Amino acid sequence: MFENLKVLVCDDSVLVRKQMSKILGSFGITNVEEASDGVQAVDKYAGFMPDIVFMDIVMPEKSGVDALKDIVSLNPAAKVVMASSVGTQGNLKEAIENGAYDFIQKPLTEESVGKILDKIKG
Amino acid sequence: MFTQFFGNYLLNKGLVSPECLADALSKQKDTRLKLGVLAINAGIMTAAQVDKVHAEQQKVDKRIGDIMVDMGYATREQIEELFKTQPSGHLLLGQALVDSGYMTNTQFEQALASYKAENGISDADFYDPEENSANKLVRRFYKFRDDSNVTYLTGYITLLFKNLVRFIGDDFTPLDAEYVSDKICHDCIGQKMEGSVKAIAVIDADEDAAIEFASRFSGEKLSANDEYTQACISEFLNLHNGLFAVNVSNQGGGEIKLQPQSFYQTLNLSELENAYVVPFRFSFGTINFIISI
Repeated sequence: MFENLKVLVCDDSVLVRKQMSKILGSFGITNVEEASDGVQAVDKYAGFMPDIVFMDIVMPEKSGVDALKDIVSLNPAAKVVMASSVGTQGNLKEAIENGAYDFIQKPLTEESVGKILDKIKG
Repeated sequence: MFTQFFGNYLLNKGLVSPECLADALSKQKDTRLKLGVLAINAGIMTAAQVDKVHAEQQKVDKRIGDIMVDMGYATREQIEELFKTQPSGHLLLGQALVDSGYMTNTQFEQALASYKAENGISDADFYDPEENSANKLVRRFYKFRDDSNVTYLTGYITLLFKNLVRFIGDDFTPLDAEYVSDKICHDCIGQKMEGSVKAIAVIDADEDAAIEFASRFSGEKLSANDEYTQACISEFLNLHNGLFAVNVSNQGGGEIKLQPQSFYQTLNLSELENAYVVPFRFSFGTINFIISI
């Protein structure tokens, strides 16, 4: 069902990127690219044109929200899901106002990622 | 949380050694509560009576509950009530200590009674899941300086207990916090928080403890204190600080922005204001949280 999705995972934590690849793999998704900061995220997005981006907020070089703004200006239909340990109303509002598709609270789980994938597949 | 504080109490009073406590904490999960400890906890029987029942059980082929009733120490109804007792952590720790021979029933009975009395803890508190009870316990235990940040500090540590249990394990004992101004840490990981609360939190541990902490958090068997191990510790700190920020926001304390985590080869704590070192002794080593709010 999700096998053909292209996913970009942006997080400065190698642990989170590894865990996310494992979770995506459990849904049959193997076409996954990774970025470890906001600058890389924007570069990789432009080259890879993924169906979904999972974006950490707190990252060096360029924050997740700044990377989100750049990606949305490249492609207003981009589906960028913000993933953060800080699931406050303020962060949620800022993400949505800047064009995020959704917001999930860390730690990422099969359940929370699965809900996003279901939403994207409609 | 009572388990960990009760463990600290036993340690401070010299009732168990750090090694015995660590061993009992690691055995908790496989420990099954027995009627004797339950009866002592409920105040239905004394430790001496429980010992007599155990001695009697060597001689007769009867269930222990029946012996308690036969000897007139408990009613059938009381035994049935005891079976319904929820296996709370401090009882499992007590049972593990008794089973391992590190304490007698009498020592456990006395320690539990004096712990409750000295800390003003009622039986209801042990089973109270409310936040207030946990906060109260943390504030009483750590004796932080009573300044304007003590509420945040207490909230931070209370949440830390929960996250340690959730992500690492419950086999730890909190040790006394130390207000520090001149300590230097090496190879530690920190994260700054800005916004409505300005703070920095740092995790400092020796190499072996850091590797085991990271192994438990990641669910992998790690063997070196390398970048990946540091990434795991960083992510624990990030998750915890994030949840703290959510709590502060939900309680009307405003928004906190987290900064990316940093690795410090050398960190002089004199650069931090109001810094406390808050150590947690796990069976695999001690993890120090340095918190400056």
